[in-house]
Amino acid sequence: MNWLKESLNDLSDFTAGRPYLGYATEVVDTIEAIIFAPTERSQERPFLRDFIDVKRYMALVVIGIVPATLASIYFYGWRALAMILVSYVAGGIAEVGFTLARKEEITEGFLVTGILFPLILPPTTPLWIVAVGIIVGVILGKEVFGGTGYNIFNPALVGRVFLTVTFPVAMSSNWVEPLTGGWAGLTKYGIDTVTSATPLGQFANEGTLVGLKEVFLGTIPGSLGESSALLLIIGGLFLIVTKIADWRIPLSYLGSVMAFSYLGTFLWPNQVAPPVFQLLAGGLLFGALFMATDPVTAPTTKGAKWVYGLFLGVMTVSIRAFSGYPEGVMFSILLINMFSPLMDDMVMTHRYGPVQKPYK
Amino acid sequence: MKLLSILIAAIFAHNIALRYFLGWCPLVSQSKKLSSAWGMGVAVTLVMTVTSVLNWPIYHYLLVPFGLEYLQYIAFIIVIASSVQVLEMAIERFFPSLYTTMGVFLPLITVNCAILGVSLFMILRDYTFLTGLVYALGSGIGWTVAIISLASIREKLRFAKVPKPLQGPGITMLIAGIMAFAFLGFSGMVGIE
Repeated sequence: MNWLKESLNDLSDFTAGRPYLGYATEVVDTIEAIIFAPTERSQERPFLRDFIDVKRYMALVVIGIVPATLASIYFYGWRALAMILVSYVAGGIAEVGFTLARKEEITEGFLVTGILFPLILPPTTPLWIVAVGIIVGVILGKEVFGGTGYNIFNPALVGRVFLTVTFPVAMSSNWVEPLTGGWAGLTKYGIDTVTSATPLGQFANEGTLVGLKEVFLGTIPGSLGESSALLLIIGGLFLIVTKIADWRIPLSYLGSVMAFSYLGTFLWPNQVAPPVFQLLAGGLLFGALFMATDPVTAPTTKGAKWVYGLFLGVMTVSIRAFSGYPEGVMFSILLINMFSPLMDDMVMTHRYGPVQKPYK
Repeated sequence: MKLLSILIAAIFAHNIALRYFLGWCPLVSQSKKLSSAWGMGVAVTLVMTVTSVLNWPIYHYLLVPFGLEYLQYIAFIIVIASSVQVLEMAIERFFPSLYTTMGVFLPLITVNCAILGVSLFMILRDYTFLTGLVYALGSGIGWTVAIISLASIREKLRFAKVPKPLQGPGITMLIAGIMAFAFLGFSGMVGIE
């Protein structure tokens, strides 16, 4: 790696002394920062106790999602990888263009959005729709709020809901059975079999339940990355062990889904699916482990995190059972994201009394 | 049960601000601070409920018997304007600080389209007196939920580097738009009729 480091250093020195190169300086610095640890060290207080900065943070999330990504290639062919690449390129251009125009630093937050977004799309989504969605998600979901760390809503979910509203047919009817057995999707580019319904869709329309084993292993139609509950749990546990994701949110979210669907099966047995099925099917595990735990959009206080998970569960179960959509995870996370500043505010007022705000 | 489902529908699935896009002027302008948002939300809920309680008998016992349905707009506006006047005097007397925060937006509740909209929806959907009352109350609560969450988001965004052209109303309308996206999840959940 030494030669790479040296050549980047040379490039950085080269661009630093030449203001007419414009944006090239920042691009080179960003590439250097993504590959190597930051070179600057603080000479005075406060000192950093830990090297978990935004870059490492985001890199660990990407590592956590790798099992589900590999599974999506196995189940749906190399087209899954193409979708991820399109998402990275299109979203990356939007992100870099926006930050350069605003003369801000390019941050690594996009690395996570860029991979989470294609994984929550149906496997047959046309590539140009993937590009449209990620550009909308990055610009309207994140950049207009000031970039990484300031966004109120999860950018990937903003893009996903935008696509659901704008291209309803492409987003809700193109589910396909995944390939299984032997090399499965590893030898194919994409799937061109007949469309079929997701387990939650089947339950909503016909009232039939798919076997729990299939749902657990992921041999069921669904979004690219959400199908295999097993691999999502592995990735999610990795995030919880490394303390990237706060365990309180998944625990209270999944717990409240279990509790409310258990209650719901007594009151409305035809509309509410049984608890374990709800837990494993659809995007619940993906949403609870990778999207609801996003430290930017989730509440910061511990008390608010429990409440956040509780409301997410209520919303997910009720949207799944009663609304026109068979799946409610993305809507409920987006919906409760918008209340997370309010929850933080209420918890702090409850703890410390009325907070004197430092502004008018 | 019907009343409960109307109440829930009015708060969530048929939120007056985020599904019908009514009452956006105060939603955008009065959501800078959480405290003034609470005040505005309560005031709008109160006016909505009171005016629909007054408008229902006026429409059904005064306008319909004389065949004067076409006068409903004028009649409703007069009722709304006078009840806002009373509310304004009450707030000025009992909550002077809230009165100064709300300023011109308090009398402007008179021309708040959400208030007139609720009364008109009530007539359009043939609500009984009780369902109309519950619908107006639910719409008010739904509008309050919208403005309060918007205000808490804007208080948090005070420290965000929002692009200059978008600061203020621009980013507020974008946030409200994404909130409306999220509220789409409730579509088809509970009937409003």
